[in-house]
Amino acid sequence: MFGLEFDQIFFVLIAAVTLGFSVLVVTMRNLFHAALALMVAFLGVAVTYVTLGAGFLAMAQLLVYIGAISILIIFGIMMTRRIMSAEEEPFNGQAGLAAFTAVIFFAFTTYVFINYWPAVPAVSPLAMAPEVDPAMIDNSVVLLGQAFVNPNAYVLPFEVASVMLLAALVGSVFIAKPRIQEAEA
Amino acid sequence: MIPMSWYLIFSAALFAIGLYGVMARRNAIAILMSVELLLNAVNINLVTFWRYRTPDRSVGLAWAVFVLAVAAAEAAVGLALIISVYRNRDSVIAEELDLLRN
Amino acid sequence: MDFQPPIINLLIVAPLLITMGAGLFLMLLNIFCKRDGVYYWLTLAAIAAALVQNVAMWGHEYGTFIARGSYPMVVSDNFSVFLNSILLLSGIGTLLISRNYLHRTKLERPEFYMLMLFSLSGMMMMGMANDLILVFVALELLSIPLYIMAGLAVSRDDSKESAMKYFLLGAFSSGIFVYGIALIYGATGATALPAVYAVLEAGSPLAMAGTAFLMVGFAFKIGAVPFHMWTPDVYEGAPTVVTAFMSVGAKVAGFAALLRVFTVALPAMSDAWMGALALIAALTLIIGNVVALMQTNIKRMLGYSSIAHAGYLLIGVAAAGQHSEAVGSVLLYMLAYLFTTMGAFGVVIALEHKLGEGIMLEDYKGLAKRNPWLSAAMLVFMLSLTGVPPTGGFSGKFYIFRSAVEANLWWLAIIAIMTSVVSGYYYLRVVFYMYMFDGDRTEPVYAGTALKTGLLIALVGTLWLGFFPAGWFELAYKAVIGTTQLLAGG
Repeated sequence: MFGLEFDQIFFVLIAAVTLGFSVLVVTMRNLFHAALALMVAFLGVAVTYVTLGAGFLAMAQLLVYIGAISILIIFGIMMTRRIMSAEEEPFNGQAGLAAFTAVIFFAFTTYVFINYWPAVPAVSPLAMAPEVDPAMIDNSVVLLGQAFVNPNAYVLPFEVASVMLLAALVGSVFIAKPRIQEAEA
Repeated sequence: MIPMSWYLIFSAALFAIGLYGVMARRNAIAILMSVELLLNAVNINLVTFWRYRTPDRSVGLAWAVFVLAVAAAEAAVGLALIISVYRNRDSVIAEELDLLRN
Repeated sequence: MDFQPPIINLLIVAPLLITMGAGLFLMLLNIFCKRDGVYYWLTLAAIAAALVQNVAMWGHEYGTFIARGSYPMVVSDNFSVFLNSILLLSGIGTLLISRNYLHRTKLERPEFYMLMLFSLSGMMMMGMANDLILVFVALELLSIPLYIMAGLAVSRDDSKESAMKYFLLGAFSSGIFVYGIALIYGATGATALPAVYAVLEAGSPLAMAGTAFLMVGFAFKIGAVPFHMWTPDVYEGAPTVVTAFMSVGAKVAGFAALLRVFTVALPAMSDAWMGALALIAALTLIIGNVVALMQTNIKRMLGYSSIAHAGYLLIGVAAAGQHSEAVGSVLLYMLAYLFTTMGAFGVVIALEHKLGEGIMLEDYKGLAKRNPWLSAAMLVFMLSLTGVPPTGGFSGKFYIFRSAVEANLWWLAIIAIMTSVVSGYYYLRVVFYMYMFDGDRTEPVYAGTALKTGLLIALVGTLWLGFFPAGWFELAYKAVIGTTQLLAGG
């Protein structure tokens, strides 16, 4: 079809679905529906990771984004709104400017990607993935795990990220817990 | 085989949609969802660069995991803030946001 | 496979370990101990210990986290030691001016101290990070506690509103920031700053686009026009101690990473980012100073003033694209900004008798009669913010303007001088209100011992920098050489 290979058609389909549902996320009036659309968009991104050979990350995407973040967001919506009757104006007065910025951004980055990619001039603009031993891709999870505990690699960012998560945890509990004493005072 | 720029354009489109959402939506939770779209776009870029540029090193993958962690932390903090704002006032300030104005 | 233990140089992250460790310790302590004073003194002791450890590292150039292997994640040089000292001093200053305020407003919570220590760790990491990934993670460690601290006054709507606005724009700017560094990674295949420097070719459009997004992200964080719109709202809504902490700490940390990333990793594109930063600086100076003229709320005015000061600092960063000596002028300006801003917020805190009251310009009427010492201190801080000799603000501006002229940014220096004159109007208006009017209130203003100590330190610092700037500039200049060596050494 149109001279496309199977994996290319598959990619285009996945991309179209992901982008379509993410458009729904930012335009839908009903926030609950938007959150459901967000889950589909996350799923599309996870499939994209699979096509890139990053199966581990696809799994992490499923667990963290769909399993945790989406659920958290849906809880947030349910706790703050009467979800079935939320039908107010979704946009502020800046929607036109926002659309303009988004289009300019997309045009600019796409122009850069298509015309100048990659930085090495000898390679064709439509650079293909380098041919690598499939074992290397399979082994990437092992490398990733080692990199996280290797002082030559990412042990410091890993520790910093863990402290950051801890700070987020403490902060969220602090900010969201009901304050009985203050209500009485 | 899929050309690299396809992934990058896909990611740029996702980022642009998120950008639009952040600037145009009035509701704080909707803005938070748009931010998550932005971070997903970044992750697609990172994984693409990993596969096409440095498949022998785990830079892009490790980074994508950090972005994932940051996204989770931001979601937690953001929803805690939104819920606490909502508790004080029923008509949420979080629903009349216009981030471009001050 | 024989195992070789890695040679880790923990010494260079020692100040960070102290602040992070203290934060974790306070969390554990929270289970057993409910007395607030304990947390205050422990935090103060931890930051002071980190400061001592940090200052002891001056001049040693301990180098990198690991002794061998690939590019290091963090480096410790005079540059990072100098910046970490500023950041730790801002932590001490915040604690000193917050002592009575937190009591008075019933905001004192162990969480405040924990979050502050975590945020401080992230700030220090920003100046030491030698890898784009670590810059990003450190930025988040810095920001996330700050979002929550801005909403510390949980019973007040404006505090929570400002926290939410800060959070949403912060998360948004982090997204743009990380997109930018992802593009730089794509262009070079590397994330370590020296590795990016080694690979990057001048004029690579992808890296150029990445740098542009990176700049937008930084501009959000440091509050530069046109990405400044969150600053006044957040500064006004957040509790004043948090405002003081973020106006110095977050800004200095943002500039630290900005300087290191741009001068170490991206000198190949210095022509491009120099012009862009100069333009942002000019816009920031003009808009920050002009809008500040119309403010009647002192916290809001200081918010716009901090935008304007980001403009002056950006001049130095832009000039650093030409000659690295300009980094020294930025460092000196930061030091002056630290003392002056902390002092000014100290006075604001002394007058804020109830949460969110006493922060209008009107409330400064007759302060000279109510508390002559306080108003004299405020006079010095306002003169320093304007840049009148012999104060630290003047010394900072002098070196910044000099480096701008040396980098052939004449037009920018002229704009900066003109906007400084404009800024005199709104800063000196505070002085005018204090000395020329009689206020409705006549009772004396009470300032606690901690606050007085903080104000004294700020006052001494401001005047010392004003009278003897040369020695301080030499120090700041030594901090630059470290960066340049690193640049040359790769």
